[in-house]
Amino acid sequence: MSCTLGEVKNRADLIIYWGGNPAECHPRHFTKYTIMQKGKYVPNGRKGRTMVLVDIRETPSAKAADLFLQVRPAKDFETLTILRALIKGRRVDAAAVAETGLTLEQLEDLAHRMKTCRFGVLFFGMGLSMTRGKHMNSAAALTLAAELNAFTKFVTMPMRGHGNVTGADVVMRYTTAYPFGVSLSRGYPRFNPGEFSTIDLLVRGDVDATLVLGADPGATMPQPAIDHLARTPTIVLDPKVTHSSRLARVHITTAATGITAPGTVYRMDEVPLPLRPPLSGPYPSDEDVLKRIVAAVKRKPAWEPAGV
Amino acid sequence: MAGARFLLIPGRTSKQGQQINVGKDHAAYQAIVSTLTMHADDMKELGVSAGASVRVRNETGEATFVCQPGNVPRGLLFVPYGPPTCRLMGGETDGTGMPTSKGWDVEVEPA
Repeated sequence: MSCTLGEVKNRADLIIYWGGNPAECHPRHFTKYTIMQKGKYVPNGRKGRTMVLVDIRETPSAKAADLFLQVRPAKDFETLTILRALIKGRRVDAAAVAETGLTLEQLEDLAHRMKTCRFGVLFFGMGLSMTRGKHMNSAAALTLAAELNAFTKFVTMPMRGHGNVTGADVVMRYTTAYPFGVSLSRGYPRFNPGEFSTIDLLVRGDVDATLVLGADPGATMPQPAIDHLARTPTIVLDPKVTHSSRLARVHITTAATGITAPGTVYRMDEVPLPLRPPLSGPYPSDEDVLKRIVAAVKRKPAWEPAGV
Repeated sequence: MAGARFLLIPGRTSKQGQQINVGKDHAAYQAIVSTLTMHADDMKELGVSAGASVRVRNETGEATFVCQPGNVPRGLLFVPYGPPTCRLMGGETDGTGMPTSKGWDVEVEPA
């Protein structure tokens, strides 16, 4: 149950950020789409919107919030579940509320705001999805937003991280039907996070070569995964020298998309934005390099095991 | 001697994001991703002064950070993601494909 950021800008009067710090990580979010803009149905802009921040620490985003709720670490699932009970008018256990680090009054107030807003949106970040509970936390947030639609219009959206991760998900989805963790080893797509996802494959040592495109796993992934990238042939396509390119056997310098190469980037609400390069450069685009690799692979005779 | 136990929350900061685009080899980037924020009272208890080094250890690995006081709850540490946090991040994804990127139990001692 989601929407575009344009709808948030034009309609949302309650904006909740949970486990994210947009003031630092998405610095244009407030000013372009969520709290500062005047929208078609929010003509008073900031004055017509309420912003709630839920996080375990007081980040710079708290300064922009009307309401800051400091939840205890790893108590997001419990807090979301209590909110689900409160919006349905169920009784909640005082001891369970105390564990969240919040008071019943704070949670009742938030539940009331959620039920009575005209258009609410819950943005959730890595503080919810990549901490203990992971997909269960995300599922609790999605369920809460879905259930709020019995009272008002309510949507939810993940606060995506690096540039164009949404694009990778979207393209994988329309080509294989799955967003990530896809194996094509049998000639058709199979989806199984934990088995075919990148970190699991690397940590278990299931892959014997890796192509890295537009990422720097050498500076972001767990050390056991980085160690496997260093042990096995790794090919990196990147405009810059990175931690990953240093451990790679092959580094092909490519053009920076949007600067010296055209391309498409997907915004976090999955709206595609075409990029027109303002400059020209000497390096090929990622697409050019990949097409040449594919053509070279096609020219090679099919590999067959010896003795067959 | 076992160090004091803390909950480490790695995350992103605006300056870190800017420096990623300037270059990860720059001293400014190295300084950002090697600086750990701790509550002032926790620093006092640990006997660490601002700017001193601390060794952070968990079952995955260990890394050394420069400690500074900041606005975090007691018992909690914040550090921007970077190569030092990679050394503390476990490879287990609990079947989700995502490593646990936040909320690590760590031991901290003066380096």
